[in-house]
Amino acid sequence: MSSTEQGTSSAAPAEPTTAPESAAAPEVPESFYYVHGKDKVVHKVSAGALQHSALIHGMISNLGYTEEQAKANPFPFENIDGDILQMVVDWCNQHKGKPTPPEDTNLPKQKEKLFDLVLAVNYLEIKELLTYCCKQVAMMVKGKSPEEIREIWMIPTDAEDEAAEKEAKKRAGKEAAGETAAAAGDAK
Amino acid sequence: MPVRLLSLPVEDLQYALECMNVGDLIAFSLCSKRTKHLAKSLNRKIDTPSVYVSENCIGIDILPDDCQELPDDEDLEDPDFQDFQDNENVSLELFDSSINIDRGNGVEEWRKPEFTQGDWIAHLLSIFNETMIYALEIDDISLPYLDTVKEFIPKCQKLRINSFCSDDVAKIAFHKLFPLIEEVEIEKNIFANEIDISQFLTPNLRSLSFIDFDNPFKLTADDLLAVKITKLSVEPANITEKELNRFVKLWMKGNNTFYSPKSIKLTLDYEFRRNRRKVFKGIQYEFVEEDDDFQFRMRRGDGKELMVHIEDNLIIFNFP
Repeated sequence: MSSTEQGTSSAAPAEPTTAPESAAAPEVPESFYYVHGKDKVVHKVSAGALQHSALIHGMISNLGYTEEQAKANPFPFENIDGDILQMVVDWCNQHKGKPTPPEDTNLPKQKEKLFDLVLAVNYLEIKELLTYCCKQVAMMVKGKSPEEIREIWMIPTDAEDEAAEKEAKKRAGKEAAGETAAAAGDAK
Repeated sequence: MPVRLLSLPVEDLQYALECMNVGDLIAFSLCSKRTKHLAKSLNRKIDTPSVYVSENCIGIDILPDDCQELPDDEDLEDPDFQDFQDNENVSLELFDSSINIDRGNGVEEWRKPEFTQGDWIAHLLSIFNETMIYALEIDDISLPYLDTVKEFIPKCQKLRINSFCSDDVAKIAFHKLFPLIEEVEIEKNIFANEIDISQFLTPNLRSLSFIDFDNPFKLTADDLLAVKITKLSVEPANITEKELNRFVKLWMKGNNTFYSPKSIKLTLDYEFRRNRRKVFKGIQYEFVEEDDDFQFRMRRGDGKELMVHIEDNLIIFNFP
């Protein structure tokens, strides 16, 4: 398993201080977690950056990993392509602890990548990034005609939808018949 | 692997569609039955739709509902306002088989061979969840086409007959359409050729306005007494102060408790400013001042009141 380290290394714990109460609170060392996608490439991400993802944040809260345990057990996201996960990690790092800007121009322009990113971000529950992605999806067809939209978003025609529906019904019928036959065989 | 938009999770798809402006949403809705249903499910609001009908062409402007309120300066920084700015108005001309659409970047033609003009209207009303056309404006159209229009616009709230409409079509349009509408505006004096205006004053309409500054509308006291419209406006009216005086006197003597108008507004010629006292000659009235507004109040035997407001060459009879 290869590994790319993202983010800054954790700071040394600050010495306990005897300063008066009004002084700044001691800096807490930042903790890091590890994630990997379909390509098994591990990304090191700070807890602060991962807070964008409601899914991962929930997992961290439930597991209560130490840093060593986290390093040994990267969160696996086998349903997300490596390059897409890399984009998500980069975005989380860039927007760590910052208010989210109204627009994000660094999102991919290619349709397939953007759609994959939407699926990944939806799965990881990163609300702000999902908002940007969906806006970007809408921008793909800005000012386009119905025919152009159909092509860009690969929208089936009514005839194709009807054919697909017939096919799905046929398949469901066959499956139901198969199950009935299997149940009858079991009964014998 | 190709990825299709419609395979996105429902919420994401919905959000992406919500980011689209009205013009893009119309285009999307025309891709298939499924996209039409998706567009409809967004429940996007538009300003009350109005159509303009000329021979064989129907014009319709689609305005996003949020254009009704203009934001103040602080809102200019608001990201939501940026979306609002993106929601430009859309002008469409509907024909059988095609539409011309203007989204601010020139006119595009979209074809849908199976669509009639009625289908286009039904499609647009459906995706924006509107039940009817709000206002219908009629230009110079033929009588057979008027029947076609009536078929695909079975109901509307306001009818506007513009100055290009022929007298015959205007009269027939009024008589054919008034049972379906509540307000009418006629921008042409169609009563020049001895046509009795009183038959246009008797339908139970909420509002009727006559406007033709080149050809004043001739009225008599009897016409005004026959009015059944809740709110009548005539700009300009050709009626003498003597005749207005007769109208007020006859109203005072009358005991018709079912006189339905709430207001009759008449714009008169500028001579009226000098002669307006003649309207009240021989009539007992009170002079009422309310919030800088001066009115003449008259009461008849059965207790009914008439308030008359006069300003420059304008006289308004209010029946509270």
